[in-house]
Amino acid sequence: MRKYLSVFNVSYKQEFAYRVNFIMWRVRNIFQIILVFFLWDSIFSNIKGDLFGYDRGKILTYVFLLLVVRAVVLSTRAIDVAGEISRGDLNGYLTRPLNYIYYWFSRDFSTKTLNLVFAIVETAILYAIIKPPFFLQTGILELALFFVSLVLSAILYFIITFIVSMVPFWIPEAAWGVHFLFTLIFTNFLSGSLFPIDVLPEAFAKIVSFTPFPYLVFYPIQIYLGKIQGFEALKILGIIVFWLLVSLFVLLKIWKKGLKVYQAYGG
Amino acid sequence: MAGKKIFIKLLIKKINISIDWRGSAKKIETFLGKAGNLIGFLVNRLLDCFSKLKYYTKIWFLMTKNSFLVTLSQKKLFFLFLFGKLIKFFMFLAFIYFILQKTNNLAGYTMTQTIFFFLTFNFVDIISQFLYRHVYSFRPLLVSGDFDLILSKPMNSLFRVLMGGTDAIDLVTIPPLIMALIYIGALLNPSILQVAGYIILLLNGLLIATAFHIAVAAFGVITLEIDHTIMIYRDLTDLGKFPVEIYREPVRSFLTFVVPVGIMITFPVKTLIGLTSVWGIVLSIIFGSMLLFLSIRFWNLALRHYTSASS
Repeated sequence: MRKYLSVFNVSYKQEFAYRVNFIMWRVRNIFQIILVFFLWDSIFSNIKGDLFGYDRGKILTYVFLLLVVRAVVLSTRAIDVAGEISRGDLNGYLTRPLNYIYYWFSRDFSTKTLNLVFAIVETAILYAIIKPPFFLQTGILELALFFVSLVLSAILYFIITFIVSMVPFWIPEAAWGVHFLFTLIFTNFLSGSLFPIDVLPEAFAKIVSFTPFPYLVFYPIQIYLGKIQGFEALKILGIIVFWLLVSLFVLLKIWKKGLKVYQAYGG
Repeated sequence: MAGKKIFIKLLIKKINISIDWRGSAKKIETFLGKAGNLIGFLVNRLLDCFSKLKYYTKIWFLMTKNSFLVTLSQKKLFFLFLFGKLIKFFMFLAFIYFILQKTNNLAGYTMTQTIFFFLTFNFVDIISQFLYRHVYSFRPLLVSGDFDLILSKPMNSLFRVLMGGTDAIDLVTIPPLIMALIYIGALLNPSILQVAGYIILLLNGLLIATAFHIAVAAFGVITLEIDHTIMIYRDLTDLGKFPVEIYREPVRSFLTFVVPVGIMITFPVKTLIGLTSVWGIVLSIIFGSMLLFLSIRFWNLALRHYTSASS
């Protein structure tokens, strides 16, 4: 356990070693939120009442929460695993007395912690500047379920990212390509991190709900907003746990198979 | 009597002129000689420009061919990226469609107009990525010191940095995008003048995109930071997916005058719809040209600060 704590610490310090990179990454997050915020702000400027089941306060809260939820769930370092496999850098880790998956989990945890701190500060500053109507959830149960869903979703995203990062075991040149498709396209659109999924037709939203993506961002925010409550919220947590177990099983299987075909290119 | 006086005055004036002309014959001969030299010089310069254009076009085709061969040698990746780009495009289009189906307008623009904004954004974005993709991989050249090799070659280093690696994937998406622009644009019933204004401002938008890519490359030469800067530029231009009217002040002014996303994307579409004046078009072109001029100056300044980081 102590060695993974050291990895956490080193990784945390490493983020500060590349300060410009980190700051630029946070600035990019803010720009992405600005587009979505003003889009919804403009849409609701002419609408009195609800649209797609959201009032002005709830949709703008959704947008603001995206900053925090994305920082906790979608910020990840496990994306670098693909590069390490394709370059052969994995060799160095296999000879060390540590579990490669735990190692990356510790690094992920460190990144998420740092991103969360920054996201909270950014949200506070943006809130002070823009002063949008904000839906403040006061129910203890809803808040507790929201936090649990966030933690579970963060672990789920780590596992899924790790699975995708193992594609280079079989196709080494696809390291960046698979992440482009998975992280930039599927996760962005299907998780609800650009817009709520219930904006799309019901049939489409239903199909998407059979994938793990909406459980990363959309459903945790729905729990916070109180749109999913009580037993329904517990059901959502159950589905996240189900996806967690399935993806963990797949991860371990692929890791074992991947190591068998690994040819230690380059390194 | 008065008519006679005027006639005599005119006659005297004519005689004077003729005397002046005869006196300046040599001067005029010299002048014509100089004019001839000037015309010769201009023709030479023009021919020189044409030969340079031919030279750089040839190089561009060679580099593009190489870039395409590299991309097409990894067919799986090619289709993976193409598939991803198409999904991204259609998902956003679907989002706009479903939103405007309920709201009927966005900041006063109809669904067709909003879709046209989105298509115009994609056009500027894809064309600049298609042409200037090499800027994205400029950093390794700087860090490794391989940029020295570019500087020592008999070609403009900026040309090589900007256009050294054309993106084959974007080329595939350009023809259908142009067709979509023509189809949706025709639904807006523009006049020929409005179409001409739109095309001119679209080219101006590409000029501004060029200026930004040059500025990013120049910033990279000085700071070695490119990857995030170019992505921040992309994030900022992403704000032009929709008309700038959706943003509140001061963000709207920022997007019009500081990072002129409004001039790049919103203005051309507004011209096609007939919402801009001739002065608006002229000022936009002056602004775009100034940005390009300043970015080239910045590039030259950056080159003077280049220290050849490695080797």
